[in-house]
Amino acid sequence: MLEYSLLAGILFGLYFGLVALGLNLIFGVMKIVNLAHGDFLMLGGYGAYIVFTDFHVNPLITLLVEIVIFVLIGFPLYYLLVPRLQASRDPEMLSLILFFGLSQVIEALATLRFGSSERSIPGTVLGDGPISLFQQTFPVAWVVSGAISLLAVGAIYIYLYRTRIGQLTRAVMAQREEALSTGIDVQRISAIAFGIGIAGAAVAGVLSPFMMGSITPSMGVGITITSFAVIVIGSLGNPLGTVAGGIIYGVALMFMQTYFSSWANLLPYLLLIAILLVKPTGLFGRRMRNA
Amino acid sequence: MTDELLAVEGLESGYGQLQVLWGVELHLHEGETVVLLGSNGAGKTTLLKTLLGLICAWHGSIRFKGEEITHLPTDARVRRGIVYMSEMGVFPDLSIEDNLDIGTQFLPRHEAKERITGLYEIFPDLGHRRREAAGSLSGGQRKMLGVAKALAAKPHLLVMDEPSAGLSPLFVKEVVQVLAGFHRAPDLSLLIAEQNVTFLEIADRVYTLDGGRIGFNGSVGEARENDAIRRAYFGLK
Repeated sequence: MLEYSLLAGILFGLYFGLVALGLNLIFGVMKIVNLAHGDFLMLGGYGAYIVFTDFHVNPLITLLVEIVIFVLIGFPLYYLLVPRLQASRDPEMLSLILFFGLSQVIEALATLRFGSSERSIPGTVLGDGPISLFQQTFPVAWVVSGAISLLAVGAIYIYLYRTRIGQLTRAVMAQREEALSTGIDVQRISAIAFGIGIAGAAVAGVLSPFMMGSITPSMGVGITITSFAVIVIGSLGNPLGTVAGGIIYGVALMFMQTYFSSWANLLPYLLLIAILLVKPTGLFGRRMRNA
Repeated sequence: MTDELLAVEGLESGYGQLQVLWGVELHLHEGETVVLLGSNGAGKTTLLKTLLGLICAWHGSIRFKGEEITHLPTDARVRRGIVYMSEMGVFPDLSIEDNLDIGTQFLPRHEAKERITGLYEIFPDLGHRRREAAGSLSGGQRKMLGVAKALAAKPHLLVMDEPSAGLSPLFVKEVVQVLAGFHRAPDLSLLIAEQNVTFLEIADRVYTLDGGRIGFNGSVGEARENDAIRRAYFGLK
């Protein structure tokens, strides 16, 4: 039971790392809080659901298409919303209000279009039968989703640490003012990060019917709160810390569901409060030398 | 007299409704080092940021190598060779190597590598610690990295905002010594905004900025003889 919980926790942790990564990337680069993050994830999930039920297209193919679509949506959405926010006196506070409004609009439109009942895609579309890992058996859909999450996280790592644009993105994350002074085109870098952030949410959305069991238009709020818990564990603005935060969260969730199942839903809130009280910089926050 | 590199005429700018600069006139020639003396709140940073396009100019003009650049974005000015070293000067979360690499962002890849190798020869401590985070450096070392990062961009005009800020007198001398190595380099001019007169050691000319207006404009010798400057910056009565 212990080994099963640990391994399942790592699989779910990789997934939760991906869920939260986009939110943390956007916060890190733009210092705005995208409260509609979970709703973009929900849209990604419905995209996969519709394409699967109407056209019988495997969600793994939809996933690739959604990456392109959401990056392309992200660019104009960034230029429409974010520069206006940043020109205001209190961009962080206003971003909470604006993206909360956007979240409500997305949820309402999704409810109108899809209804409020739960939808799901059979896990067998990702492969038949259970799969064995270290003498423990898991649904293939979990293992495939965990592997895709790992690939997506790896792709974002390569973007951040192995490309020139990624290097400039990290510079903007580190010191926006200094980045501007150095001549970095901060708006372009931010637009790319915004597109990648919501594309990451869409990828997690495609996998959500398999990891969450089902999708509903109202799932966005819960996902956003879970994402906050994960990024607070891993440190705000630190994308790689998010992955570690996701694994810690996933393992904790699985242990809670195994040994204290009735308390499992409280986990994101408990972790949020505990980390903020004990180590507000997150477990992977870095200190700077002052002299 | 060498060719004029930078010509600022009638420059006015500020923040929101608050006007900070009032008709600033400033000229700098190729290979020249100019120190802009000003106390806290005199408008030095505002002037430098306006030169870089980080703050919009309200009125007046900025010409660089004869080209009107008053309304160009910052990246276009950096591409033309105007490089700004802010008080912070570095990205503390990034490695020393990343900082220098970002400094070379507008250079061709092969030239960038050569440039960074050359800078490690000038600043060997940075070379030894290239993989470490800039934030792990001491204040003085961080300032050296800031200078190196700015030089990595291969500037024609290096604009420095209070390079002595937060440094002990010993480190200030070290920074001045490093900059002295570039003094009168044929393709590098320096505009240093300061309130520390130690930088006059490497200056060709001096401006003073007071309340957003240029006060004094002359040689270092003339500045040292000027009563108002002696009182304000040398602490002499």
